[in-house]
Amino acid sequence: MVAYIIRRLLLLPVILFGVTFLIYCMFSLLSPEERLATYVNNPNILKSTQASQRLIKKFHLDDPFPLGYIRWADKIIRFNLGWSKAANQPVWDAICQRFPATLELVMYSIIPVILVGIWLGVISAVHHNDIVDQSIRVIAIVGWSLPTFIFGLFVLFVFYGILGWLPPGRLSTWAQDIVYTGTKFHNYTHLVTIDALLNGNIPIFLDALRHLVAPIITLSYISWAFLLRITRSSMLDTLRKDYIRTARSKGVDEHTVVHKHAEKNALIPVVTIAGMMIVGMLGGVVITETVFTYPGVGFWAATAAQQLDYGSVLGFALLFASIMVIGNLIVDVSYALIDPRVRLE
Amino acid sequence: MAKEKLLEVKDLKTYFFTEDGVVKAVDGVDFEVYKGETLGLVGESGCGKSVTAFSIMRLLDYPGKTVGGKVIFKGEDLLKKSEEEMRKIRGKEIAMIFQEPMTALNPVFTIGYQISEALKIHLHMNDKEAMEKSVELLKKVGIPIPEQRVHEYPHQLSGGMRQRAMIAMAMSCNPTLLIADEPTTALDVTIQAQILELMKSLLQEFNASLIMITHDLGVIAEIADRVAVMYAGKVVEYTDIRTIFHNPLHPYTFGLLTSIPRLDVELRRLNAIPGFVPDPLHFPKGCKFNPRCRFATDRCREEEPPLVKVEEGHLVRCWHVDRVKEEVKKGLLVGV
Repeated sequence: MVAYIIRRLLLLPVILFGVTFLIYCMFSLLSPEERLATYVNNPNILKSTQASQRLIKKFHLDDPFPLGYIRWADKIIRFNLGWSKAANQPVWDAICQRFPATLELVMYSIIPVILVGIWLGVISAVHHNDIVDQSIRVIAIVGWSLPTFIFGLFVLFVFYGILGWLPPGRLSTWAQDIVYTGTKFHNYTHLVTIDALLNGNIPIFLDALRHLVAPIITLSYISWAFLLRITRSSMLDTLRKDYIRTARSKGVDEHTVVHKHAEKNALIPVVTIAGMMIVGMLGGVVITETVFTYPGVGFWAATAAQQLDYGSVLGFALLFASIMVIGNLIVDVSYALIDPRVRLE
Repeated sequence: MAKEKLLEVKDLKTYFFTEDGVVKAVDGVDFEVYKGETLGLVGESGCGKSVTAFSIMRLLDYPGKTVGGKVIFKGEDLLKKSEEEMRKIRGKEIAMIFQEPMTALNPVFTIGYQISEALKIHLHMNDKEAMEKSVELLKKVGIPIPEQRVHEYPHQLSGGMRQRAMIAMAMSCNPTLLIADEPTTALDVTIQAQILELMKSLLQEFNASLIMITHDLGVIAEIADRVAVMYAGKVVEYTDIRTIFHNPLHPYTFGLLTSIPRLDVELRRLNAIPGFVPDPLHFPKGCKFNPRCRFATDRCREEEPPLVKVEEGHLVRCWHVDRVKEEVKKGLLVGV
């Protein structure tokens, strides 16, 4: 197991090389002038060919592909991801500043994904084809067929527009003053809900939570609806297995048959998919954060894309790819921990 | 010799209510199992043997349902019992062994856990006692290094070892009746013989009865005291082991026997029964075996024969017992 993890970690640079290479390929589709546009605020410079050519030379923006990649990769290794026009700060700093907000959103979204998705999936399978199953399936179908931005706008419209309960953003103005500029509030983790609890500031905690509920509902719906489907079919399949009959033939009660004998088998594929889905949610935040103007990396990436700020977009792509790679490793390892038949070689 | 009746199945009817219609998988089956004896339940695939077993255990899957009859076990009708009462019988009074030990054992629990489960439920042992008893049981069924094996998972054992573990599981609470559904079918021939020997010795030791479900008459010859031959959801011949091999009176039994290769008789070719098991949705009119039967007459095509006693302890469901008897006497049984 340890050897396997080490081998996978050794493979990590190779995968990241592939990822950065592909990203740079996209990068190289831009002309030197288009690349320059990111660094320049004064539009007059771009109009003057002489001035822009000088800057292109200065920043090596017209390097041939291999040399350009090496220069770029060399900077990447030192966490120098270039300048983010959208955030008006270096890309790496922009990520570091916004990532905790995204992490907080995804972290809380895992709870409904796992609990509701698996719980309803099992219930649906146990009540196969009756009214309970049918209703759950309808909810699930709506969930994974409704585009996130439409569902998000619907949630925003109802809970903010009509009811005024769940405002967009991350914190109310009064809370922002305390958290970001106040001297008494310590940002230990930069996850506002947790920091608020660590500071013993319950109003801030509740305010942060109030802002999180709507994005969580939006972000998690499609994921738990999908996980529900997987759980349901996996569970139905497992309940037909011979060993379930064996368990019943031993006099095991129905609750134990379902929740122990069947679930332990049925959830093996579910855990793998859930893991990948959680990793994937970090990418799915773009739409949700944009709808709710939630200040995470997704919102920033969307803004950057609108401004043709390729440095930020590439930084986001790199971040997302790295999370995917590491997330998959964790999923693979956990797979071996729950299924005795899997031996990682 | 009056033997104590342990199980009596009376006019058992189990139907499957499918979208295409009602499948009468078991349609009026009768037999008895006496204390300490082994009853063989023989027939081709799809004749209702396994469904009979699951009906006794009340472990039918949707859309199967037992719609009539009685299953009297130790004087009480199992079909009238609540699910709660039934659970106390399963694994404790009646245990089951399945055909495919790979799929019948849960892949994510250790062998020890799976054996100790019944011990904990029925004999209220704690984890430690149950584990110790599991080791003891594995030793009894001839598994080497049982102390290590209890901590292993099913995929770490060979097919024969898995079936031994399955037997240990079934015997764990000293059941009075064991139902084995094709327990040797998935195994190599040499392993088959070992497993049968093991089952025989355990049955003797525990003084348990056995219903052996199989399509293999060789297995029946090895282990059974009496035999019920099933065809299309009904018992067609029901008698003791000697009679079934030496004096079969139903054309189907006759056909089964002549389809086995024999060493003592020179045969040009094996005698296969023509045709197929009929589609349970469209059983033929009259005797269900008539389209495949060379004794069939118009009467067979019109009227279904009852199961009648032709001699002491020998019941046959056929209109032409006399004609079959003659052929058997002529020795036609052994040759074509």
